Amino acid sequence: MNAIEVHHVSKSYGAVTALDDVSFTVGKGEVFGLIGPDGAGKTTMYRILCTLLKPGQGKATVDGFDTVSQMADIRRRVGYMPGKFSLYQDLTVQENLEFFATLFGTTVEQGYDSIRAIYNQIERFRDRKAGALSGGMKQKLALCCALVHQPSVLFLDEPTTGVDPVSRKEFWDMLQTLKKRDITIMASTPYLDEVRRCERVAFLDQGKIRGIGTADEILTRFADIFNPPGIKHAQSGEVTDENVIEVEHLVKAFGSFHAVDDISFSVKRGEIFGFLGANGAGKTTAMHMLTGLNQPTSGTGHVAGYDIRTEHEQIKKHIGYMSQRFSLYEDLTVQENIRLFGGIYGMSDADIASKTDEMLERLQFAEHRHDLVGSLPLGWKQKLAFSVAIFHEPSIVFLDEPTGGVDPATRRQFWELIYDAAARGITVFVTTHYMDEAEYCDRISIMVDGKISAIGTPAELKERFHQPDMDHVFTHLARQATRSSD
Amino acid sequence: MKQFISFIIKEARHIVRDKRTMLILFGMPIVLMLIFGFAITTDVRNVRTIVVTSSLDHLTHQAVDRLAASEYFTITATAPTPQDAERLIRSQKADQAIVFSPDFASRRGGIQFIVDGADPNMAQQWTNYATAIISGSDASPVNSKMLYNPQMKSAYNFVPAIMGMLLMLVCAMMTSISIVREKEKGTMEVLLVSPVKPLMIIIAKAVPYLVLAFVILTTILLMGRYVLDVPLQGSIVWIYLVSTIYIVLALSLGLLISNIATSQLMALLMSAMVLLVPIVMLSGMLFPVESMPRVLQWISAIVPPRYYIEAMRKLMIMGVGIGEVLREVAILTAMTVALLAVSLLKFKTRLE
Repeated sequence: MNAIEVHHVSKSYGAVTALDDVSFTVGKGEVFGLIGPDGAGKTTMYRILCTLLKPGQGKATVDGFDTVSQMADIRRRVGYMPGKFSLYQDLTVQENLEFFATLFGTTVEQGYDSIRAIYNQIERFRDRKAGALSGGMKQKLALCCALVHQPSVLFLDEPTTGVDPVSRKEFWDMLQTLKKRDITIMASTPYLDEVRRCERVAFLDQGKIRGIGTADEILTRFADIFNPPGIKHAQSGEVTDENVIEVEHLVKAFGSFHAVDDISFSVKRGEIFGFLGANGAGKTTAMHMLTGLNQPTSGTGHVAGYDIRTEHEQIKKHIGYMSQRFSLYEDLTVQENIRLFGGIYGMSDADIASKTDEMLERLQFAEHRHDLVGSLPLGWKQKLAFSVAIFHEPSIVFLDEPTGGVDPATRRQFWELIYDAAARGITVFVTTHYMDEAEYCDRISIMVDGKISAIGTPAELKERFHQPDMDHVFTHLARQATRSSD
Repeated sequence: MKQFISFIIKEARHIVRDKRTMLILFGMPIVLMLIFGFAITTDVRNVRTIVVTSSLDHLTHQAVDRLAASEYFTITATAPTPQDAERLIRSQKADQAIVFSPDFASRRGGIQFIVDGADPNMAQQWTNYATAIISGSDASPVNSKMLYNPQMKSAYNFVPAIMGMLLMLVCAMMTSISIVREKEKGTMEVLLVSPVKPLMIIIAKAVPYLVLAFVILTTILLMGRYVLDVPLQGSIVWIYLVSTIYIVLALSLGLLISNIATSQLMALLMSAMVLLVPIVMLSGMLFPVESMPRVLQWISAIVPPRYYIEAMRKLMIMGVGIGEVLREVAILTAMTVALLAVSLLKFKTRLE
């Protein structure tokens, strides 16, 4: 008997078709990947299998039970991690776990064996509120909560989005141990290294299954989507010796805790600088100090020639900033958003109008000028957000995980925009958890425990640490972290 | 049962850990009681009064003395003519003038009130009070007696109204927000994909707020009794029983709102706008239902707090038995059953 059977399932919301005649089966104990771009219908598929939605047409069974008529049986035997963070932030680790255990009619003691391997890593934080955990820790706790009742089928909807590479590896190592217990796993992920850890993969695009096969088969067959030819970084030669960011002995302490612990580095004009580090290494805090959102405890720094201690108002005028969470106002149209941000930076109306045309032309976006931003796909929003962040021609743009949760092809397009900006002389300061993106940077630094433990070009770092690629370099360094990931 | 209890504990933790909400929940009844009890009051007190009289005979003298002795009026001046008095009122020096005609004593009448009518309700009350006091002299033919509230204290009126308003707001708003929050955070998905019955989720969500509502109810009653000196004439048991029906009604209303609202903000706005305005305006809390236009009277007939406030006034202030409020209790019960049924039927066990 197959663990999951999906027969000709379709589902639409009003005029939008989310799933279109989808069929596949997943064998018992299999690790099955459901991959595809944002908005392909993956979440709808999970919700149908978890009995949260009824299929429009077709039929699906989980563990032999029908998702419509035998809802209660399915709900007793599946574990589900929705895409959104699914814990109670104001309850402690222990309280969350106990609550979910009781919810499924079991106790932490009874289920302890099944979660021990994972729970061991977070048990020392048992009295900490879930909201205060780092991204990787939260995902581990969510997985514990989903596993404590020993489900026979586990549904994981992009469980590692926003989690650093080391934590992601550990997370998937845990999933492998579950396989030994014959638990069927269906997971989606935007990371290719995770796709490769699935036994079979279904590629879902615009509600249709484009192909099912082993990870390598699918990744090869759709190579143009998943592994588009790497873009060549045309070294424009515009990198000058002029430093636009200079930081010396920068420290930010919260009480006795040094989030950023004495870092020094510089970035040259026109450079693409990758700022890497595990969750909780201090990246965001450092970035806040550089952008003038936060005062350093000690140390000095200059951004675009202005002192980060005293001249943060000047700095704000000369930088662009794009965070992962904030993109644009969803209830304004594309043009209205551009107009707003142009206005905020004090550009003239004529300037805004001409540059808007030029920008939309370059993005091939002209026909969506009057669309609400909320109606655009995530990848487009991010491209638009980036273009808006550099609309006022800042000398530096700060990007905080700009490509979280986006498929490889869209990320590749996003990086073309970054190169484009760099070619125009804009310095790019970017954080990312994608190690293939790290390779695209001119220079990178890797933060561990609040300190910069390595800095250099990707080639230099690979050579220095004798590792084949950036992924290994990062893992090598991040594993030396002693600070509890928080 | 174990699931149920752990669910309630979890819910209680959410409430207790949210310090700001806790402060508002318990601060609101206390602050409202103090404001309505002491600051916003329609009681007549210290009205600045001018006496206009030409002949200070014995009877006039007596009447003026009684006015001055009462806590309601303060005689600030005497004026020779009504025109002078009017000028004083117009220049904000006084609130009202009482003009005694020269032959007041002989024909036991002939009084004119010149009143600042900017607030018509208060103006009406001042003249009523003054008339009562002046005619209260031994010889007066008119004698009025205030039942239940001899001192005419407005707290008697407000305490039941605040109960009706607060219980409704706390229960409906807090349950709807707490359910919608789980939807927003994605935890509702996990709860639904668990073997727990949806009905249990709802009841467990409601229980902590039920308890909270009783705490608030008790706070109000205690404050009313010992701070504002509002008597509790009727039986405490009945007061709590009728309140329980009302609280359950408010909880099911909150549940209904949570079915419709998709965000916490929307739930908040819906409970505030949809509930607060009719409660304050149409329940008879501030304005008597009897003096509303016919259409508004019909609308007020479906506003639940109207019946609760009415029942509470009867039970608390008049001290009647449950027999006298059967009509209100019956209507409240019917509304509760109907609302509960609708909201339970409408509760979605799936996401659609």
